[in-house]
Amino acid sequence: MTETTCYHCGLPNDRTHHYETVILGQVRSLCCPGCQAVSQAIVDNGLEDYYQFRTEPAKKSDDAILSQLDTLAVFDEPALQEEFVFDEGKHKQIQLTLEGITCAACGWLIEKQLSKVVGIKQVAVNVQERRALVTWSPDDIKLSQILASLKRIGYNGSPFQYDEHEASYKREQKTFLKKLGLAGLMTMQVMMLMAGLYFDWFGAIEHETKQYFYWIALTLTTPVVLYSGSTFYLGAVKAISARTVNMDVPVTIAIFGTYFAGLRSTILEQGEVYFESICMFIFLLLLSRFLEHRSRHRASQISANMTQYIPVSATQLSADGKVHQCLAKQLSVGDIVLIKAGETIPIDGTVIEGNASVDESMLTGEFEPIHKFTDSHVYGGTINQDGVLTVRVTQTLKHALVNQIVRLQASAMASKPKVAQLADNFSRYFVAAVLLISLTTYSYWYAVGSDQAFWITISVLVATCPCALGLATPSALTCAMAKLNKQGVLLKRADALEQLTYINTICLDKTGTLTEGKFTISKRWIATGVDETEVIKLATALESRSEHPIAKAFDGEVAFSVEAFAVSPGNGITGRINNTEFTMGTASFCGYPALDHIPFNANVFLCAGDALIAAFLVSDSLRKDAADTLNLLKKNDLIVLSGDTQSNVDALTANLPVSIAQGGLSPAGKYERVKQLQADGRRVLMMGDGINDAPVLASADVAVAVGNATDVARTAADVILLGDSLLSVPLLMNVAQRVKVKIRQNIAWSIGYNLIILPFAVSGLLSPWMAVVGMSLSSIIVVTNSTRLLR
Amino acid sequence: MSIIYVLIPVAIIIVALAIVIFFWAVKSNQFEDLDRQGYSILFDDDLPPEEKKLAEQRKKIQQDSEQQ
Repeated sequence: MTETTCYHCGLPNDRTHHYETVILGQVRSLCCPGCQAVSQAIVDNGLEDYYQFRTEPAKKSDDAILSQLDTLAVFDEPALQEEFVFDEGKHKQIQLTLEGITCAACGWLIEKQLSKVVGIKQVAVNVQERRALVTWSPDDIKLSQILASLKRIGYNGSPFQYDEHEASYKREQKTFLKKLGLAGLMTMQVMMLMAGLYFDWFGAIEHETKQYFYWIALTLTTPVVLYSGSTFYLGAVKAISARTVNMDVPVTIAIFGTYFAGLRSTILEQGEVYFESICMFIFLLLLSRFLEHRSRHRASQISANMTQYIPVSATQLSADGKVHQCLAKQLSVGDIVLIKAGETIPIDGTVIEGNASVDESMLTGEFEPIHKFTDSHVYGGTINQDGVLTVRVTQTLKHALVNQIVRLQASAMASKPKVAQLADNFSRYFVAAVLLISLTTYSYWYAVGSDQAFWITISVLVATCPCALGLATPSALTCAMAKLNKQGVLLKRADALEQLTYINTICLDKTGTLTEGKFTISKRWIATGVDETEVIKLATALESRSEHPIAKAFDGEVAFSVEAFAVSPGNGITGRINNTEFTMGTASFCGYPALDHIPFNANVFLCAGDALIAAFLVSDSLRKDAADTLNLLKKNDLIVLSGDTQSNVDALTANLPVSIAQGGLSPAGKYERVKQLQADGRRVLMMGDGINDAPVLASADVAVAVGNATDVARTAADVILLGDSLLSVPLLMNVAQRVKVKIRQNIAWSIGYNLIILPFAVSGLLSPWMAVVGMSLSSIIVVTNSTRLLR
Repeated sequence: MSIIYVLIPVAIIIVALAIVIFFWAVKSNQFEDLDRQGYSILFDDDLPPEEKKLAEQRKKIQQDSEQQ
């Protein structure tokens, strides 16, 4: 039985290879050895239930999953652990961010898998945050073993620390929940008592019972006023000490006014009591603050997950010729390190021996490898693809190029254009007006001699309370974020949606953003008299042994075995198939064959012996949806900013609706260019993916990190596209427009309501309880209007 | 009606208890992850081995009857 998609991850299956596992009593087809290993591990551990109850397919497992297990040993280094492992008596505790969690069943799977491991004391997985808290006893198990057992079932765990911002957010969130819970429960109780009194239309309740009810209500209201309401008093005090007013000021006056008046009436046994109104008022206001808090800070959690702590280890070569492993941050200038093929270069340095091609795509964005030999500079974070390098350290990790880029990003972030807090400014005048009107109302009714002057003033304060106004923006933003989340667009900053509507210039990175970020064969030429499929098979067989990114363009079934295979870094490969010597690589490597009859600018040549049999143009191709996306975004100025050469950029953008295409830009160059555009008064949206894009992403008005972006780029971005499709960007712009309309409607409604109700309150037609009900209704209308965005 | 002089204080004590429990729940991170716990009940992992076997048999019978 062969299914077309992988049972584990839902991606299409490979037609040529078959991977199978028996899951839930049936043979299931899988797409790759990684998924097979993971699903087999899940079945072997008796956790098949996962497949039955999951709601989303799993994340595709890394093919190299099992070979990577030994690299985890670096996490056992004590120097490294002291930064994020906490000692809990005999046990140790760590926070891990987990990559690969797709639905709630994943949480179950991880908890079950880890709780079976000897030595692990406690596991708590948080699916929403994609994190786990693990407690283990260091005598029985090592941290690397815990990470390995996570990896076996397909999840990547990496240690991380809460940043300060997030820790304070968590504390606030809990306080909010407590205050809200208390206010909610008490409101119900007080309401119950007071409703009894409201419906006493025939005066059948004795005075004594009434007093008893008032005293009970007072007891219940007191904790709400003192504890739940404290958020507003603190806000009001802060505002007044800063010599300004905010919404908290009239709220505080209204709460205390009503509370003390109620207290007085209860003690003196005469006058009116509105305890239930206070409770409900506090509850509803808190609810709107809570929603706002959540929508604005959901982001901090996402970004904290991004800044995972990834330690880099190095193989140090000491003076006596011995090698030993150490952490990259322990290296000092002048140390000698050895870098084998496939390893990440730990630090900036100069090559003193060996040569190799190095993938510097993480720094430059260009994935075409760069050939390094003696005296070349290599940079930390780049990957050595072939050959062995001996490198002398020239910069400590702190000053390495990658960290310099990160610092540039941090400073760009600080100088980011601030969103004008329009709503805040507006509310200040609004509040001042409310206070003035209340005061005038009170003076008037007092002068007239009405005994209701006080209650009328309270009604004015409550009726004009901008509760619905406060909900107008956060409720719309929360709904839009939820909607976008479902479409695979993650918003790190809710107010980015407001800014999106002002965007008039869109800057794009080329490699990895507009293009696939990998090589494909775009043109081929086959010598006459040679069978085309045969040539492709030969090329595929040869390239299957190479680690070079170009080799990945030759993807397919390997039909021949290659003997005497050799790599010449930066040039090409040689090998023997069926007793014929084949050479494949650059023109110079193949002995400058005659090129006149090849109709395009080929860059990879294949020779059988001395005869040229095929030539290929291998290049990075445009993403499938790139043209459609750009056409949809055409009403903005489209600018391509790339680190690649100008000619490559021009060739790619020739058929695209792009107004300017600029190549040869360094990370700082891109940053300057966007700064310049902003100085010209443009609002810039930047799309990028590499580390080299991080500074420019951080400085743009709104930054979008496209699918598979590096962690640094994701940290710098405001919006992260989780899927591979660029079409999410026009969708994002569209939602942003709708949100703007929604927010305007909400604000218009809430201000309109306040203006309409004001004359009734001022003229004394509205009692405080009616004002509270009116305020709640107006809030509900605003929230309901916002939820329409979800559709 | 004098019964309310007893019943209402009793109700208040119960509410106070509920609030204490709620505060404890917030403090011990029970509101951190609202997606996950709803699924726990679907997994039969808390059953003793014999019962789990029975549950699996029942599942099988059900699947068979669905296929027919």
